[in-house]
Order: sequence, then structure tokens, then C-alpha cells
Amino acid sequence: MTAAVLQNVLASVGGLPSIEFSSVAPSIILALGGVLLLTVVSVTKDKLPVWFPAVWTISAAVAALCTVFRLWIRVGKWGNLSLISGAVGLDRFSLFVIGTLCVSVVMGALLLEGYLRREDLEGPEWYVLLLLAAAGGTTMAAANDLIVLFIGLEILSIAVYILSAMHRRRMSSLESGLKYFIHGAFASAFLLYGIAMVYGATGSTNLARISTFLADNVITQNGLMLGGIALMLVGFAFKVAAVPFHQWAPDVYQGAPTPVSAFMAAAVKTAAFAGMIRVFVLALGPTYRDEWRPMVLALAVLSLLVGSVMALVQTNVKRMLAYSSIGHAGFILVAVHSSTAMGTSAALFYLLSYTFMVMGSFGVVAVVGRKGDGHHQLSDYRGLGRIRPGLALAFTIFLLAQAGVPLTAGFLSKFYVIRSAIDSGDTALGVVAMLAAVIAAFLYLRVIVAMYFEGEPGDEVAPVKVPAAVSVAIGIALAGTLLLGIVPDPVTHAANEATAELVAPRR
Amino acid sequence: MTSSALLPLMILVPFVGAGIVALLPARRTELFRPIALLTSIVVLGMAVFMLVNFKVGDPGYQFESNTTWIKDLGISLHFGVDGISLFLVVLAAGIFPIALLGSNPDHDPKPYYGWLLVLLAGSIGVFCALDLVVFFVFFEIVLVPMYFLIGLWGHGRRVYAATKFFLYTMFGSALMLVGLIALAVLHQKAVGGPLTFDLVTLAREQALSTTASRWIFVAFAVAFAVKVPLFPLHTWLPDAHTEAPTAGSVLLAAVMLKLGTYGFVRFGLDLFPEASVWAAPVMLTLGVVGIVYGAICATMQKDLKRLVAYSSVAHLGFIVLGIFSITTQGIEGGILQMVNHGITTGALFLLVGMVYERRHTREISALSGLQSSAPVMAGVFTLVMLSSIGLPGLNGFVGEFLALLGAFKGARWWGVVAVTGVILAALYLLWAYQRVFHGKAEGENAKMRDLTWSEGAVLAPLLFLIVFLGIYPKVMLDRIEPSVKALVVHIDRNVEGFDAKDVTPKIAPAAKGAEHGGEG
Amino acid sequence: MSNPLSDLLRSYLAVGLFASLGFILVGLLLFLSWLVRPSRPQAQKYISYESGVDPVGDMWSQSQVRYYIFALLFVMFDVEAVFIFPWATRVELYGVFGLVEMLVFIGILLLGLVYAWRKGVLRWA
Repeated sequence: MTAAVLQNVLASVGGLPSIEFSSVAPSIILALGGVLLLTVVSVTKDKLPVWFPAVWTISAAVAALCTVFRLWIRVGKWGNLSLISGAVGLDRFSLFVIGTLCVSVVMGALLLEGYLRREDLEGPEWYVLLLLAAAGGTTMAAANDLIVLFIGLEILSIAVYILSAMHRRRMSSLESGLKYFIHGAFASAFLLYGIAMVYGATGSTNLARISTFLADNVITQNGLMLGGIALMLVGFAFKVAAVPFHQWAPDVYQGAPTPVSAFMAAAVKTAAFAGMIRVFVLALGPTYRDEWRPMVLALAVLSLLVGSVMALVQTNVKRMLAYSSIGHAGFILVAVHSSTAMGTSAALFYLLSYTFMVMGSFGVVAVVGRKGDGHHQLSDYRGLGRIRPGLALAFTIFLLAQAGVPLTAGFLSKFYVIRSAIDSGDTALGVVAMLAAVIAAFLYLRVIVAMYFEGEPGDEVAPVKVPAAVSVAIGIALAGTLLLGIVPDPVTHAANEATAELVAPRR
Repeated sequence: MTSSALLPLMILVPFVGAGIVALLPARRTELFRPIALLTSIVVLGMAVFMLVNFKVGDPGYQFESNTTWIKDLGISLHFGVDGISLFLVVLAAGIFPIALLGSNPDHDPKPYYGWLLVLLAGSIGVFCALDLVVFFVFFEIVLVPMYFLIGLWGHGRRVYAATKFFLYTMFGSALMLVGLIALAVLHQKAVGGPLTFDLVTLAREQALSTTASRWIFVAFAVAFAVKVPLFPLHTWLPDAHTEAPTAGSVLLAAVMLKLGTYGFVRFGLDLFPEASVWAAPVMLTLGVVGIVYGAICATMQKDLKRLVAYSSVAHLGFIVLGIFSITTQGIEGGILQMVNHGITTGALFLLVGMVYERRHTREISALSGLQSSAPVMAGVFTLVMLSSIGLPGLNGFVGEFLALLGAFKGARWWGVVAVTGVILAALYLLWAYQRVFHGKAEGENAKMRDLTWSEGAVLAPLLFLIVFLGIYPKVMLDRIEPSVKALVVHIDRNVEGFDAKDVTPKIAPAAKGAEHGGEG
Repeated sequence: MSNPLSDLLRSYLAVGLFASLGFILVGLLLFLSWLVRPSRPQAQKYISYESGVDPVGDMWSQSQVRYYIFALLFVMFDVEAVFIFPWATRVELYGVFGLVEMLVFIGILLLGLVYAWRKGVLRWA
């Protein structure tokens, strides 16, 4: 309504960069939701009920999700749009990613609700940062300009740096925040330097213009361009935690408050991969595919192997999940490496499935961590199958899904990735990926063994309490994991639509 | 119409049963066993209905049903049975009530029966899936209940055995997944049209190059070889069998071990005829090594259950030998042997389980003279053991004989070596029998209870089948033969320079489409 | 025509030249002053200078965390000013649109200030 009025005013003035506010509605809703929440809570002080910030956050995410559906239909009618002087791309790829991010905000807020109550850390700031991080992620997903992409990345990252240090009483949380901040700052610097070099080589930071420039001109001296590509790749590899730029991930995932680790594993990875695909597959794919693919191949193989092998020797479940998330990043990199529409939709499907699986897993971990968020050793899971059969079964399903057992989302997402790899002729890469998945399966079995086959009755350290909000989050994750494995058609269809016209076919 | 709903129902009913078990509160312990039994008997009833209504002489798939599952990937829920899978489905449906009746879990009945029902659904599904992905889904999904059955209700080093079992199979199926996706993608690239994982289409069109299909065959073969298990990938089997609870061992023997050999027939020979002929010498060698190696290992065992487990390795060697002789008789023998091994070894595991329940040991050296304290059990054991050795007139003989006959036609020298396995089988089983049942009964052994009536009732159907199928195997052969003949003709037609030993040689091109219509 | 990398390096040659010139100039001046200045060392001259007050205590001393928050707030509004100045020079061109955009920007900052105020950050106690 106001947006329309504003547009009319703008049109009457004329000659200005027009902003279609309704098209960037998801980002605006999330960002505004965060800022308003902060104001409302600070103005009213302690008069609001404890559940208010969580409900607010979830409503904002659901509202953003609704606008995503509306925009999806609109894009279907009118085609892809480029907005705000071409800085933002409104297409189904970005909408799919934004939808995924909204889902992870909903689950993240639910996990936080239970967690903060248990840890006596209630406060609106967590939720504000969650919303702002999501706003940054959505900006990244829709960025059609390297600078916008960078701004989105920074909004996302800074919010998550603070979130991971928010558990003030735990030294490891502070340590994780600092570590993440320093590593992340490095990554941003690399990315920015890469962007500068690409700008130097092509004369634009706009992805569409870069793409056309490269299609029309052959750069004879492409040292600058190649340097830029390499540096940007390093920046993204840091963010998605791909080997050899992964060292921060285990420490940070382990130290951060568990719901924040969940959000990091799901949302930060999703947004970073979205940015990576936008730059590498969509903009640089047609022209510089042959240059970046070998680099991504190396990242993928290393992530797969190191992620699954290193995960085996961990005894801390959060660390284990961190390494396994490195392995999953390797899987998604396999999809990115294929650099086709099929590979991109495989990556999208994988990201959504992984959001459900990893959110659910970390949800269980958050609950089992008990008060103080400190019980994360494998031995703390002993006998969980006996004292909390429902929780243990849910965790088993999440773990088996991550291992790729059929009838779960994990199987089909691996299936899609392998198919895209084989389709582009990389059967050997597919074999490596599946073998890494088998190695990783052993680690998931170790947790299951601890839950079901170990421990005598009565040797539990402390009772495990499952708050209502957390059980809702785990329920959503469970439903997502199973539905995507049993009736994936609507989602796979959407993922295919999201990439069909966007990714240039291979020459 | 009813017939097309039969197979999906047979898979769905156990899932529903498992769901009911899962939803009931865990303290209603008395409810789970009846529910599981009822479900498995319903499934058995449907299997019997299928057996009765199976059209004899039709080589094609019957009771077919086909619905799209994942449209984008061309995966459809395509089910059907032919002569090759018919008896395996019936066996799976039949052995479950027996395994349920034959043993009780010592704790946590709710998850026990829940997982068993999931296993039942998976076992039925895997034998009638005609879509590669659906087959793979069931092939993998049966792992999970079996993993928990061994890990939660097993003996001794159960966690080690369960994990080893899971990882070995995962390893094989990881390669198979890559193989089957490669198969479908390459097929699509060669033929055009939408992606399909349909077994019937892929087998009929044979669109892949020789090299590609050989590679993909290798990927499939590794998965199946782990499941069979073939030497040297067999080491999970003795562990899993020994540590599993009785019902788990019975089901492993009767159902799970057949996945590999069934896979070789259905997805090896049918999908990759050329590659199968190419790989036959290797497979035959591995089969024969399995026969001899399994027999020698069985002779050495101190644990009765481990002995039976190694005898399975030897028996499955015979099946592989029969299949890769690529003759009608050999393959028929292989399929017969799959079913008979399920019945015989299932019965053997039940008997060992009953001995263990009484004596709490399976050490052969700790048992002796059981004949005097448990004469009926000794008699039953004798019969089952003789069937396992392959005594003419009992069911074990027919399959082994046909497999060897086929081997002599298709792969003579392998057959010659394999015959020694028959002699070794007599050696290890009779020797074990002698040590356990003969001699003097002292202490605990002298006080051992004989078979109870209910135990006898559980074993009775198996004993009946052992004798009946030994005397009158024609009921099975009549139904198996047309499909196997069609398969051998299919191989004959698609492999240049291959001479099928016992089907009408090289048919004129015009007639080919007609005779092979059954596959499509 | 030539190696792209060496070309890239060549474009940095000017930068390198200027940088070395800068180093040389500074070094020359320091050298000159060292050459001509008298040198009479005294203990007093080696004490760190702190606004004419004698330095006492440990080097690692704590300072009030409140300074930090004030510094943050100052930087925030400083940056805001940096953004507003160039905007002000071109505001005619952007007209209503520019005004609205700047109001949004200041609005968000104001909300932050409200938050800081309600949190009691602005009170010195």
C-alpha cells in the first residue's frame, strides 16, 4: 500500500532509481522485524511476556515466507526481474533460498526459546540478531551485484559472530565468537579483494554486466580476472567451511550456543552457497567455467574426505556434527562443480534437506546438552534410547538421513547430487562422494550405538528435559526430513523451476 | 484390479502394523506379539493367494502395478513378480511368522516387533520391486531394522557385528547407487526421452556401450557380492549370524542373504547380459572358492551357530555357481537353492537357538550326548541337517543338483571342484552332529528338556517343506522355469558369441520379440 | 601479447616507485636530523610522556568499559555524518526519494539510540 504510493510519488519525480519494495519484501520484513522488535522490547521494558520475542520472530519469518510464495507466483507470470538498477535479482533461485532461510529462522527461534529459558539468558537481542542475520542472508541470495552480495554477507556474518559469543557465562562461547570473527574477517577481506580484482578486470561489480562483458569480450591478459576468481572462491570456501578453509568450523560449532550452531550450519551455509552459485555458476559459469571448476573440484574432494574422516575420531558430538557439516559442504560443492541447471537444483534441494536434518540434529544436541550446555560428549548420550525413546528415535532418523538412508531427505539429496555429477561426466567424483558418505555413516552409527547399545539403567548424569518449543522445532525438522524423502515431488519441481532458465547450458 | 493392488498391499500392511506398534504405549507388552503375528499372517495369506493365482507357464511379470513416485527423476513404484521372485516373496512372507513364533525377545518387545515388521515390509518390497531406485530403497532400508535387531537383542560382540554388517552393506550399495544412476543417465543419453529407472525398459533396450555396462556391472556386483556374501567380502556374515538373536539369524539366512543372489539374477544377468557373460569366470571362481572355503571354515568352528553361518557361505557359493553357469538348469537350481537354503538354514538356526535357550552355550565342546536327553530334537536336527548336506529325497538335494548340472554344462571345471563341497558339507555337519548329540550326556546336558509341543509346531511347516519339496520339486520348477528360460534367451539374444547350452539356439529375428514379450 | 602477470606487475611499478621514494625521503630526513642534533642523554628523557604527568602503575591497566560504549556511539554518529554530507550536496537531484531514503537511514539509527537509552547506556553511574 504505502509502497505503491511511494512508487507513484517517485514516478512523478522521474529519472530515479525505482525501488519496488514489494519485490524485496522478504528482506525488508526480516530486517524491519528485527529492528522493530528491538525498539518495542526496549521501550516497553519488562512488560511483555517472555515468549513475545520468539513469537514475533516466527511471525516475521512466516510473513516473509508468505511473501516468498506470492513472489514465486509473480515471477512465474512476469519472468525474472532485475531491480534497483540491477543490483537485486528477483528470480526463483533467490526465492527458493530465501524460503529455506525463513524455515531455518522459524526452527532457530523455536530452539532458542527453549534454550534461553533453560540457560536463564532470555532477551530480545538473540532474536533481533537472528532476524538481522536472516535479512543479510536473503540479501545475499538475491544479490545481483557483488557489492550488494558483500553487504549481505557482512550483515549475516556480523550478526552471527555476536550470536556465537552471546552465552556470556561460557568461556568457550566467547572463544568461539572471537575465533569466528577473526576467521570471518579474513574471509571477508579475501572476498572483497577478489571483488575488487574482478571489478578491475571487467569494469563492473554488477553480475549481469560482468557476465555480458565476459561474453562479448575476450580478456587476453586475464591474470587479474583469475586472481579475482581465486580470491572470491577462497572467501566463499571460508564461509561454507570447505577444506582447507575449514579450521574454524569445529571450534566455533563446538563453542557457540547450540541453537546458534544449528543456525550457522543451516542458514549461513545456505546463504554462502547461494552467493557462491550466483557468482560462479550464474555469472561466471558460461565463460570461466573451465577455470574455476578444477578449484572447486579440489575443494569438494578434500571436504568430503577430510570432513568424514576427521569426524570419525571426535568424541564431542557438536564437533562431530561440525566435521560432518564439512563433509556435507563437500557434497554440495560436487553439485556446484557440475555447473549445470541440474547441479544447481541439486544444490538447492540439498540445502533445504540439510536445513531440516541439521536443525533437527542440533535441536536434539541442544536438549541433551542439559543446563549449562556442556554435556556434549558421546558418553552423555548413553541410554538416551531408554530414557527418552522419542528423542532418540528422532535423532536416529536425523543421523540416518545424514548418512543417506532411503525414505529420508538425505538419500534423495545425495541422489540428486550424484546424478548431476554423473550427468556432467564426473562418475569418479560421484564414487568418491559416496565412499565418503559410507565413512561418515560410521560416525552416525557411533552416536546411535551410544544412544541404544551402551549404558546401564540409572547412570544418567542429569535428566533430559524437552521444552515444548524445542519439540515443535524437532517435529518440524522430522516432518521435513521424512516428507522430502517420501514425497519430494513438489520441492524437486520447485528446485528445477528455480534453475531452469537461469543457468546457461553448457557449451 | 485386485491383483495389481496385491503387492503394494503386502508391503503396506507390515508398515501399518509397525506404525500401530509404534503408537501403542510401551507398557502394554502383551499386545505387541499378537499384532506382529497377525500382521505377518495376513501378509502370508496374501502371499499364498498370490501363489495360488500365479499363472503357470507365463514367463512375464504378474500382479504388476505401476505408479509414478518421483516424476522429475522418472522413478515409479513398479512392482511385479515372475517365476524368479515368486518363491522368494513367498519364502519371506512364510518365514516371518515362524521366526516370530520361534523366539522371544528378552527385553523391549515394542521396538523388537516394530523393527521386525519394518524388516518384513522391506523384504517383500525388495523382491518385487521392478524399478532400480525402489529396489535400492528397500535394499538399504532392510539394513536399519536388522542393525537394531542385532545390536539390541544380540549376543556377545553384538555392537561390533551390527556395525560391521551395516558398513559393509553400505559400502557395497554406495557403489551400486552410483552405478544405477550412471546406468539411467547413460541410457537416457543413448536413447533420448525422459530419464527412467524402470528395470523392464532398461533390460529390454540394452542401450549402453560394452565398456560402460561392464563398469556398471562391476559396481552392482560389488554390492551384491557383499550381500551374498562372496569371498573375500564375507567376513561380516559369521559375526552377524553368530551375534544376532535367533529370529535375526533366521531372517538373515532366509531373506537377507538372498538379496545378493537375487540381485545377481535380476539386476546382473537381466540388465547386463554381456557383462555377466564377461564376468562369469570370475564370479564362478569366487563361488567355488566360497563353497570350499566356507566348508573348510565350518569344519574348524567351535561354535555351533558359527558353523551353520559358515555353511551358509558354502551354500550360497552353490547358488552363485548355478547362476553364473548361465544355463537354464543352473539358474533354476540357484533359485531353488535360494528358497531351500532359506528353509533349511532357517530351521537349523531355530534349532541352535532352542539348544542355546536351554543350555546357554553354543560351544560344541560343551555339548554332548543330547540325543539321550532330547531324542525328538535330535531326530528333527538329523532331518534338517541331512537336507543341508543335500541328501537325495530332501529339498537341499534338488537345488544343489540342478546347480551342479548346470555348472557341468556351462562351466565344467568349476563344477568339478564344487562337487568336493558336497562331500565337505557331509563332513562338517555329520561331525558336528556326532559331537553334539552322540556320546555321553553329563551334567546339564543330561537334564536338557526335549522339544516342547509349541516348538515342534513352529518347526513342523519347515520339516514338511523339507520333505515335500525334496520329493516333489515340480510345483516350484513349473513356475520358475518359464521365466528362467526367457532370461537365458534374453542373454543369448544380446550377447554375441554366447551359446546358450540348453535353450533352442539362436532364434530367427522375427520370433525374438514375441518370445521375449514376457519381460516387457 | 605478453605474460598477463608481468603486465599486472608493471601497472604496480608506479606504486612501487612512489613507495620507495617515500621511504627514501623519510629516511633521508631522519638521517639529517640525527647528523646535526646534539645528543645529551638523561634518565628523564626516557620516561614515557603522558600529558606532563608522571606515569605510575602497570602498563596493562584497566579502563572504564563505559568509555568503550561512548566511543562506539560516537563512531556510529560520526559515520552517519560522513554519509549525510555527500548526500546533502546532491539532495536536489534525488528529491523526495532521497529525503525518504535518508529518513529511513536516520530512523534506523534513532531506533538504535532509543535502544541504547532504554538500556541505560547513556547514564554515567
